Amino acid sequence: MLKVTVVSHYPKIGDTHEKQLLRRTIAQLDRKEADLAQLERAKDEVTRQVIEEQIEAGVEVVTDGQIRWDDPLTYLAGKIKGFRLTGLLRYFDTNTFYRQPVCEGELAPPPSLVVKDFQFANTISSVPVKALLTGPYTLAKLSQDKHYGDLEKFATQWATILGEETKRLAKVGAGIVQFDEPAILRFKKDLPVFKRVWAKLASFFPDHLETVLFLNFGNLEGIYSELLELPVTTVGFDLATEPANWKLLRKGSFPKKLIAGIVDARNTKMETEEEIQEKLEKLLASVPAEDLSVSPNYGLEFLPRETAQKKLAHLSKVVREFREAKVKA
Amino acid sequence: MTPLPLFPTTSVGSFPKPDYLKKARTQANRGEISEKKLRELEERATREWIHFQEEIGIDLLVDGEMYRGDMVTYFAETLKGFEISGFVRSYGNRYYKKPIVVDEVRRAKRDTVEWYQFAQALTKKPVKGMLTGPYTLMDWSFNEYYKDRRELTLALAEVIHEEAADLEKAGAQFIQIDEPAVSVRPEELPLACEAMGIVTRGIKAKTLTHICYGDFEKIYPGMLDLPVDQIDLELSNSNFNLYEMIKKHPFTKEIGLGVVDVHSHKLETKDEVKKRIEQALRVFKPEQIYVDPDCGLKTREVQEAKDKLRVVVEAVKEVRKELVSAAR
Repeated sequence: MLKVTVVSHYPKIGDTHEKQLLRRTIAQLDRKEADLAQLERAKDEVTRQVIEEQIEAGVEVVTDGQIRWDDPLTYLAGKIKGFRLTGLLRYFDTNTFYRQPVCEGELAPPPSLVVKDFQFANTISSVPVKALLTGPYTLAKLSQDKHYGDLEKFATQWATILGEETKRLAKVGAGIVQFDEPAILRFKKDLPVFKRVWAKLASFFPDHLETVLFLNFGNLEGIYSELLELPVTTVGFDLATEPANWKLLRKGSFPKKLIAGIVDARNTKMETEEEIQEKLEKLLASVPAEDLSVSPNYGLEFLPRETAQKKLAHLSKVVREFREAKVKA
Repeated sequence: MTPLPLFPTTSVGSFPKPDYLKKARTQANRGEISEKKLRELEERATREWIHFQEEIGIDLLVDGEMYRGDMVTYFAETLKGFEISGFVRSYGNRYYKKPIVVDEVRRAKRDTVEWYQFAQALTKKPVKGMLTGPYTLMDWSFNEYYKDRRELTLALAEVIHEEAADLEKAGAQFIQIDEPAVSVRPEELPLACEAMGIVTRGIKAKTLTHICYGDFEKIYPGMLDLPVDQIDLELSNSNFNLYEMIKKHPFTKEIGLGVVDVHSHKLETKDEVKKRIEQALRVFKPEQIYVDPDCGLKTREVQEAKDKLRVVVEAVKEVRKELVSAAR
């Protein structure tokens, strides 16, 4: 009941020499002092570090931290024939950037996207690992399409590719697959397209797989009830910096599992114990404890690594004490 | 000061640091060399860049920001109320240390003014005073102290105003207040304008602001409300069709025309740069135009930066000549 989890990425480097391995290795590669095999080993090692850090901080469902991902688009698009990666664009309102993928031909389904990454993370983690993908709509919306000439066709092709990947992930033991779909909160008028694309994606979902739709970079006003009807088991959104989402949640009982992003992953300011406790109480008024997880509202890469871990440890501690108090009561 | 020629050539702010300075900054961080030694090398690099700009015939100079890590961290280091966080990634293998506002922001040093004075003393040509705008300082920092984004922005605006007033007092005839972040959240453009109004309040020097990251559609023509005399835009590395937009809403200020891409190793040819200026001449009056690279050149190698600046100057010289002969 009431678990602590994370969503998407984790900071790749920290303050110590050991924690800067990836940055150092990439720099060495640029200077031709390291090779690609060394870079792969560094990515493995840092993945190991960040899984350990999450577990140490008390996170109960971890991710691989997306250590291998440069950004939410290019890691996936880069593996698919038909894309060319171009200039840097800002990712929503952050100070991070992504290389925009340009689709110049039929997208050829790849043998796999993140299956190996998941397997690696799953082998080294002592707690469940959530597999991560960017959602089909966001991938299509933030890319440039010069081939399909239609957002829905383009996104549906993505849905097919991601759907096949989901099946592969389930086959190798993934119990939870999360799809990040921030773009729909910025382009709400696309909801009809979004729903059809998701129906396609969900047609691939195996039984008993937990599927997560995670939404941030906005609120759910105007599309809330329709999003909750989508064929997924779990929906997650920002309940740290979007007051409008609280209003929606109070409307009635929540028909899915919820991941409540109650800790702000975009500011170093620590939440107080009282704030977190109060939010937990409010959440339990709408969602039964067994269907509730709490997390930061974004991936943690917007924070320095040390602060990220501190925030997770703090959240876990408050949740642990809260659960104990509930059991006693 | 001699008056500026038609299409004054200038730069957005930063230049790459020479290897000896990069090395010295690392050593200073580790405590292996003194602050004084570092300062000497920063001065030497500044002198070299001033001389280079004079040598190739740039009209409006910058000090090159040899003493700044980056445009936000520098102010976080020189103002009170800030701490510096650990590393945060911006893209690829690029990381920066993001400032954290932990207390009331106040001015502590006259560093910007002193560097302006140092650079201006090296040349008879005008040197720009360089500041980062309050909105960008806010947007690029964590906020643990102020109630919200607005309160922090307005507090920073008062501090940056003091900096601007002191630069003017020290003789700066051009004061640049960079606001690269304003294109990111169009709904906050009015806040950025209000804050800029505080910064430039009562300033008689020419004021300008630099905006980058392409996405200008969302803030045009609203950006023209920024209370400055000139807006400098990244135009070569952007899909923004400024000229289409200007047809609908005239550009009411001077324009700093970014004509070479600072994110690319590729050196533009003189003809490419000329074409970009000639394109601008279809919608701007000649006296509205200043010409410069898209953005600060600090991410380029020293030689690449020099080559890019040279091609800007050479292209401008030819366009000037052609205009004169066409007028005859």
